Amino acid sequence: MIQFFDLWVQYAPLMLAGLATTAWICALAAMLGVVAGLALACLDSVAFAPLRWAVRAYIEIMRGLPILIFLFVLYYGGPSVGLRLNAETVGVFGLGFYAAAYFAEIFRSGFQSIPKGQIEAARMAGLSGPQIIRHVKLPQMLVLITPPMINQIIILVKESAVLSIITVAELTKNTTQFVNETYAVIQPYVAAAVLYWLLVEAVAQLGKFVERRVRF
Amino acid sequence: MATQPTIRIRDLTKEFGTFSALSGISLDINPSEVVCIIGPSGSGKSTLLRCTSFLEEYTSGEVEIEGRLLGYRRTASGLVRESEQNIDAVRRNVGMVFQHFNLWPHMTVLGNVTLGLRLTKHVPRAKAQEQGRRALAKVGLENFSDRYPSQLSGGQQQRVGIARALAMEPHVILFDEPTSALDPQLVGEVLDTMKQLAKEGITMVVVTHEMGFAAQVADRVVFMDGGKIIEQGPPAKLFNDPQSPRLQEFLDTWKSRNMLFQADGRSPGTAEEGARP
Amino acid sequence: MATFALVLDNLPIMLWGAAMTVLVAGVAIILGMPLGLILCFGVVSPKPWVSRISRIYQSVWRGTPILVQLLIIYYLLPLIGINVPSILAAILALTLNTVAFQAEIFRGGLLAISPGQLEAARMVGIRRWAARYHILMPQIFRLVIPSLVNETISILKNSSLVSVIAVTELMRVSQQIVATTYRPFEIYIAAGIIYIVINLLLSLAGRSAERHLEQGI
Repeated sequence: MIQFFDLWVQYAPLMLAGLATTAWICALAAMLGVVAGLALACLDSVAFAPLRWAVRAYIEIMRGLPILIFLFVLYYGGPSVGLRLNAETVGVFGLGFYAAAYFAEIFRSGFQSIPKGQIEAARMAGLSGPQIIRHVKLPQMLVLITPPMINQIIILVKESAVLSIITVAELTKNTTQFVNETYAVIQPYVAAAVLYWLLVEAVAQLGKFVERRVRF
Repeated sequence: MATQPTIRIRDLTKEFGTFSALSGISLDINPSEVVCIIGPSGSGKSTLLRCTSFLEEYTSGEVEIEGRLLGYRRTASGLVRESEQNIDAVRRNVGMVFQHFNLWPHMTVLGNVTLGLRLTKHVPRAKAQEQGRRALAKVGLENFSDRYPSQLSGGQQQRVGIARALAMEPHVILFDEPTSALDPQLVGEVLDTMKQLAKEGITMVVVTHEMGFAAQVADRVVFMDGGKIIEQGPPAKLFNDPQSPRLQEFLDTWKSRNMLFQADGRSPGTAEEGARP
Repeated sequence: MATFALVLDNLPIMLWGAAMTVLVAGVAIILGMPLGLILCFGVVSPKPWVSRISRIYQSVWRGTPILVQLLIIYYLLPLIGINVPSILAAILALTLNTVAFQAEIFRGGLLAISPGQLEAARMVGIRRWAARYHILMPQIFRLVIPSLVNETISILKNSSLVSVIAVTELMRVSQQIVATTYRPFEIYIAAGIIYIVINLLLSLAGRSAERHLEQGI
């Protein structure tokens, strides 16, 4: 019984290091994804049709493509077209650009959610374009898009487990190392599940905090 | 020998948290009687009906259907919650018609009317359909059996709701504001159907805002306010000689609104029937 | 040109892999439907302990990475004396995962159906399970088709992960081809295109199913 818990103590540094890696990669990827997603959503609303088609194609491709294939193309296929990135960098860019397609959809539905009548009313009240965005569109949109954004970040955190397959020493990779070195199964995976759950819960709590801040 | 009331309600109370929706209601509904319950919004009319059908659990008091306690079982230590099965058994002769029809949109009209027969009375399909068609004929919709609810007008949908209740051959039908969700021009057809049922001697309890209907059809009108029964009696007496100031006020409000309608020239079917019989 | 030949040479075996992908994901999705529906009724159950257990199941399976779930099941089964081929372990993991997500989808459908319909059923004496079967289920499926298609696409994409437990589906087949040809870029892009085509077909099928059912009402 003592031994059962001993393994946890012994491997705590490895698991926590994995958690830290997962956390910073996800944080960077989420930031990249949100910015790129917003850019895509803005491009999607411009008048130049070919640009809109390109954005649509990008979104559809990412929605139909397994993240693992995307990562493999970047990591293993990249060098053959002169793109040499280390595994962590592939992780951040892969997760980020993959999630960008989903964030773009969230932003798009946010833009569309504001009824035209409100914009007309704001215009009749003499507000300028940027003022309308700042005072009418954005506050309402934020309330609406915060929950799906948080949800998408949680999905991103869970997807990051895939990075273990391209040798990033994140939580899942370190868990398999734990398994391989000790031949234990239950302790490593229970620990991994709990740590992922904590990370997901932290994101959810952060989301609730943001939701309270943006509510009007 | 006095006949047993179809529904017997004693000291019924219903509390939602600290708010008491019903306080101490006692009411008997006798066989073949048509009782209309009127009163302002929030007076507890619908809650009374929902407790009488046990769609809402009541807080204290008793509801008996044909002599059997509904929802609870009497034991030495007081009332105990009854099983769903036994509740269904006690409720089996009670039908209900809802404000929002509550038809099942994925089934045809005939499917709506026969589902209860097939599932709870285990009537074979062909026989159930025959009974269902008879019920539909009573509400004048025998030619609509293969339509879906979304293809019908609101008035027709509510008549299907009535047919669905009728098909089960209940001993009493509870109507929960059956015309409140309808456009004014569709109210008449539903009220006509209900009048027909009243003539046939079906026991009915009707929560309604249609004073004309209450005046013409009810054997007894019950006026509720603030979760209590304030006054009850035959419609002629209640409408012409209200005793309590609250009922007087209620009737005055209704009459002045009604006059406006008539002056408007957009009098709904109910207004032309007038408040007085 | 050489690229084209390379992909063409390997296309038959990749399509076999794709068939395996569709099989694994398809079986998981189909098994997940009745189980997801039952779990959904568990979540909304008036019995507190049923509802609590259902919610815990849901939050565990929705809150951890599917790759971790897959590895746990793959390594845990032999440990408790169950030796199954890896394809069954893969199907089991994907099914247990999709059940949790489908339950949530069905719950969304349930919320869209007015509670009055169930009251009407109770007033003609229809029991709870009969009402669920005859009144709720036919409507739920109609309401949740778009979400169910999304979930199917998600499981299909996630099925690429079962390659790590040596199920020879599209991803694994692609890896094997790469191991002998050393042409990862071309092969993985080809595999990606196959995934995208399958998923596009799925969304098209979903949209036509939606139209058909709408006409039914």
